[in-house]
Amino acid sequence: MRTLIGAVGYRNLRDFSAAFEVIARLEGDSHLRSESERGEGGCPLGPDVVIEDTAYNPIAVVQWLQSLEAPERFDRAIFISSLERGRTPGMLTAYRWDGGLPPDDQVQQAVTEAVTGIIALENTVVIGGYFKVLPPEVIIIEIEPLDHEFGPELSTPVRAAITPVVVLVRRLALDPDAIDDIPVASLPLRHAQKARTL
Amino acid sequence: MCFKNLPVEFDEQGNASLRGGIPDPYTASMAPANVPMQLTHEQVEELVRRNGHVKSVDFDPVTRVAGALAFHAVADLKERRIYEARSVATLFRGYEVIMVGRDPRDAIYITSRACGVCGGVHSTCSSLAIEMAIDCVPPPLGVIVRNLALALEFLYDHPLHLHLLAGPDYSAAIVEPTNPALYARAKKTEAPHADVHGYKTMAALMEDLNPLTGKLYVEALHMTRVAREAYVLICGKYPHPQTIVPGGMSSTITLTVMNEMYVRLSQFFDYSKKMAGIWDDITDFFYEANPAYKQVGQRRANMIDTGIFDHPDAYDATYKNASAWGDRRWATPGAIVDGKLVTTDLHKLNMGLEEFVEHSYYEEWTGEGQRQRFPNDPSGNPLSPYHPWNKITKPRPGAQSWKEKYTWDTAPRWDRLGMEAGCYARLWNTAVAQKMPKNPFIESTGHSLKVRVPKGALPEMELEWHVPEVWNAFERNRARAHCVAFTAMVAMNNWLAAMDRLKNGDTKTSTPFEIPKTGERLGVGFWGAGRGYLTHHLVLDRGAVSNYQIVTPSTWNASPTDRWGQPGPYEEAVMNTPLLEESDNPEDFRGIDVLRAIRSFDPCMPCTTHIHSDAGVVTREVNTCACGVED
Repeated sequence: MRTLIGAVGYRNLRDFSAAFEVIARLEGDSHLRSESERGEGGCPLGPDVVIEDTAYNPIAVVQWLQSLEAPERFDRAIFISSLERGRTPGMLTAYRWDGGLPPDDQVQQAVTEAVTGIIALENTVVIGGYFKVLPPEVIIIEIEPLDHEFGPELSTPVRAAITPVVVLVRRLALDPDAIDDIPVASLPLRHAQKARTL
Repeated sequence: MCFKNLPVEFDEQGNASLRGGIPDPYTASMAPANVPMQLTHEQVEELVRRNGHVKSVDFDPVTRVAGALAFHAVADLKERRIYEARSVATLFRGYEVIMVGRDPRDAIYITSRACGVCGGVHSTCSSLAIEMAIDCVPPPLGVIVRNLALALEFLYDHPLHLHLLAGPDYSAAIVEPTNPALYARAKKTEAPHADVHGYKTMAALMEDLNPLTGKLYVEALHMTRVAREAYVLICGKYPHPQTIVPGGMSSTITLTVMNEMYVRLSQFFDYSKKMAGIWDDITDFFYEANPAYKQVGQRRANMIDTGIFDHPDAYDATYKNASAWGDRRWATPGAIVDGKLVTTDLHKLNMGLEEFVEHSYYEEWTGEGQRQRFPNDPSGNPLSPYHPWNKITKPRPGAQSWKEKYTWDTAPRWDRLGMEAGCYARLWNTAVAQKMPKNPFIESTGHSLKVRVPKGALPEMELEWHVPEVWNAFERNRARAHCVAFTAMVAMNNWLAAMDRLKNGDTKTSTPFEIPKTGERLGVGFWGAGRGYLTHHLVLDRGAVSNYQIVTPSTWNASPTDRWGQPGPYEEAVMNTPLLEESDNPEDFRGIDVLRAIRSFDPCMPCTTHIHSDAGVVTREVNTCACGVED
């Protein structure tokens, strides 16, 4: 099983940087292991796992996925991001994306946002889904943020959530059957009430 | 004499001074003459009260633009015209506030975040301002590579706008429901440039402009990748580069890098021919179908550009010589008033610049007892108290009111006129001024620009962009399409110049520098975004930033009505736009003509990333409902 672990967020934006802390922890293991133990490509989770900062133009993410040759293509993607949905700060929500896409005008708005510089998990998933480049299994792990300020520090509840996310991601990346424990759900879209047909 | 409204005169040697005998020369009473005006709020209210068919039409947000823009209009759906137009930047940018007190080198990285499309232009503009302030001159190859970086950003930007943002306005998916008769005509109309772009009829072309599914839409997505790949070869990453420094570029330039860049740049040869053909055909088709389309987005041809792409033998980073090195740029600086080029002098462009905040969420910074910090520029030319070097950014959020304040944008004016910025201004200036360096690809004729694009799969072609007779939404898009070829050939000239330097063993791309820790120093970056004019005005005090002011193209274009009632460019263009959409039922009205007018400017409200407010940092735009506005 080839697995992509992708972090989406903003650096130095406190809780909105939580996903980077997760991948840093996952990658950090590599400093504790010998080169032979790290495996091919240097990923501590093995040669079939790619840990990637996917916090860039979602169109560019899509184009990267499109460019992969068959043996490099992923079977599973795990995207981690801080998303504000009014839950208890630090709360984790993990679900397997049901593949549902919004109407075309909302996809178009997602593309507009993507090419003009907005980085958002929903855009990456919607555009990737629309252009059919995402792996068959897409798992989303959301962390509810508390703190919106500039800076490198995470708030206490979000910092407390990092270890459980790391444990969950590691399990999902390595165990093909771990996905059975994850509920299937739609991606809540912020575009829904805003998009105009023109 | 380029100034008609400012109290500045020139002696026989061309030295500027304030006109004598005026006690308060920059006072508000120095109103610009013969300019369009908004109706007063009372007049608009009266029209709405008396006529059931006069209604508010709000676009909030305006979609398919970069960033947070809302637009309020009062439309007469019977007479098919607009009475009032208000452009609303819905978020505060605040980079000017963030920069104060910092090391100037921070500006290269912080101001880049002002835009998610073209951050590199801000990085470069800030490095130009720093270079001027600290007397640091980049080596020739540094200047050339900087030009290449800029051109590659534009090759990302122009296709993006034309086929992802504005293009859908001319697609079958939009034209068919809003103008069915026009679409029926398109099915029967042959496309004149079919041999270049491959579409036999206008309807076939419109089909492929359809968002998401159209081949031109998908191709534009691909071309953004090609340009990005070329850009990161020299800038490390996109859109926020890592190799731009005062005194040049920190990247290592080798023949391998240049060859890899050429592989990508050459893909724009045929693409630029196709773009020009497509937008020539769209423009001519609409004009022939209904000449009233010439009024969509129409406004006076008043525009401004600082010029871009420095000549390595001329650029010395000084303010004193800015007029001279500005004239040697590949794209000539200039101000155009009512279609006439009135100056190409960077000193005069800078001298004429003012920013006003009567309808903006900022406090006035001049007034009783307020000392004007810089009455003159470093060359002794008079400056207005409203000039960016004298400006103090004092945000003051408040209720939205069309009578009072309604936007976070300011109202920049040149010679107190509402000027428009765009890549077309650089085409226009360069075409008319005839000052560009001699080269094998581009010729400035005085009334047009001829661009010879090399052979690709398509044969070599000479494209010609003519200074238009009318200035409107269609001409903006047409000029932007021709700008793809212009930009690609400026890049080719600079690519060849870089190769010559490398062959001669000249690989130096930057000059070492230190930030002086004493004294007060001024700098300004005169540069450009894909969308046009860009300046960063910097004041350094003992090595730290004491003032930093950014004026972007959309600061000009989205500007609100000014203190004299003169509308900003979007507003003026919308007020002149006839409603040609075919709809009998007001409920079906979609406002496509208004949207075409606005989008033709390529709006970029560079305020969507990392905006600070009392409630925290905003990473994404929010809409403000203009329909609930006060009054």
